[in-house]
Amino acid sequence: MTSRTVIIGAGVAGVSAAAALRAAGYEGSIHLVGDEPELPYRRPPVSKEIIRGDKAADEIRIKKAEWFTEKDITLLTGRSALSIDVETRTVDLDDGQRLGFDQLLVATGGRARSPWHAKRIRTLRSLADVPQLRDELTAGAAVLIVGAGLIGSEIAASARGMGCAVTLLETAELPLPRLLPPELGAMYVDLHRSEGTELHTGVTVESIDDADDGTTVVRAVDGRTWTAQVVVVAVGMQPNVELAAAAGIDLADASDGGGILVDAHGRTSSDGVFAAGDVANQPRPVLGGRHRVEHWQGAQNHGTAVGKVMAGGSDAFEEVPWCWSDQYGFNLQVAGWPSASHDLVVHGSIADRDFIAYLVDGGVVRGAVSIGRPRDVRAAREWIASGAMLDDMIPVNVVP
Amino acid sequence: MKRFECQQCGFVYDEAEGWPEEDIAPGTKWDDIPDDWTCPDCGAAKADFVMVEL
Repeated sequence: MTSRTVIIGAGVAGVSAAAALRAAGYEGSIHLVGDEPELPYRRPPVSKEIIRGDKAADEIRIKKAEWFTEKDITLLTGRSALSIDVETRTVDLDDGQRLGFDQLLVATGGRARSPWHAKRIRTLRSLADVPQLRDELTAGAAVLIVGAGLIGSEIAASARGMGCAVTLLETAELPLPRLLPPELGAMYVDLHRSEGTELHTGVTVESIDDADDGTTVVRAVDGRTWTAQVVVVAVGMQPNVELAAAAGIDLADASDGGGILVDAHGRTSSDGVFAAGDVANQPRPVLGGRHRVEHWQGAQNHGTAVGKVMAGGSDAFEEVPWCWSDQYGFNLQVAGWPSASHDLVVHGSIADRDFIAYLVDGGVVRGAVSIGRPRDVRAAREWIASGAMLDDMIPVNVVP
Repeated sequence: MKRFECQQCGFVYDEAEGWPEEDIAPGTKWDDIPDDWTCPDCGAAKADFVMVEL
């Protein structure tokens, strides 16, 4: 009997794994199950080109419909997996189908967190979230965004571009707190404000309530309140671990980032069951420990790497995290693990928003943050991966 | 043979090397790559690449 692969989750990790299986010559069946109703798509543009209306959904497909046919991948969209049985090796879907598998990939990603429950709260993660929010982001509309992480900051920039009156609240003292060291977070304070976004940091939201007049009231623990026509909550994502947990597959500790525990090859605690992408908690390269990565490229490349393993490969996945963000026309890139404790070595000008900053710990490059210098970031990713000393690399590779 | 760099992430497509991971053979001209091809690293559109001298 030929081998049967089931992939739950048709985001970039799942699609990349399917592609890698076929590219490696895997000849068994592949069922790719996605709960969204449409062809798999690239998620990063959702908070940028898509919400602004600059691109249509069909312009961000990961693969065309024909590709799945050509590769003999059975794509089941609009279907949710209800349960995994690792004993009988079956997955039950909400349309009544039962899929048998010899190997299973759980690539279920995550969903937007929203600790508040007012009727008019919006979140943005999927194409399905877009039409309503885009209709509401009209010129002049008072838009309040809770959370100045990547998604919240990008929505703020997009909404400003659409002429909205934007207020952005962040619990931490600076925007992008999980990503940027303080000097660079401060640059984003200036950027938001110079672009007309009203940014308030150090604000912990206590409640969000629907008012009788159709507005929404946001109240902070310090008593300050804001009233807005549109409230978008962007306070991070929650990994979709429930299916795996119910099947008895080990999860990672919340202190390590949560998610499904996998080894460097994407293997879970259950034989023949793998996990990849945002939901997978992986060994962290270079620094040791574990981490869960929530960026596009990490999900794509992790999916590819685990797909190769599922096709019989033996390479571990040891990639340094890397992400980018477009806000107000500036392309930010972050690689590695920037930390407030690192020394900052800046080439170029932060004020001019044309720089690369190396994050250095005892001379060793641990991270890099850049605006406008993608080629330098590419080099820095390799230095971080190899634990290179900055002084050994700079004189030969970079013109300050 | 020419090289094209993604303006979003710095990925370089080298015509001499092609991109075998997506069945683009070495020697494939940039013009012969489908317009809906996207950057293998970051998903940017083909239109976001520019020719570079490296």
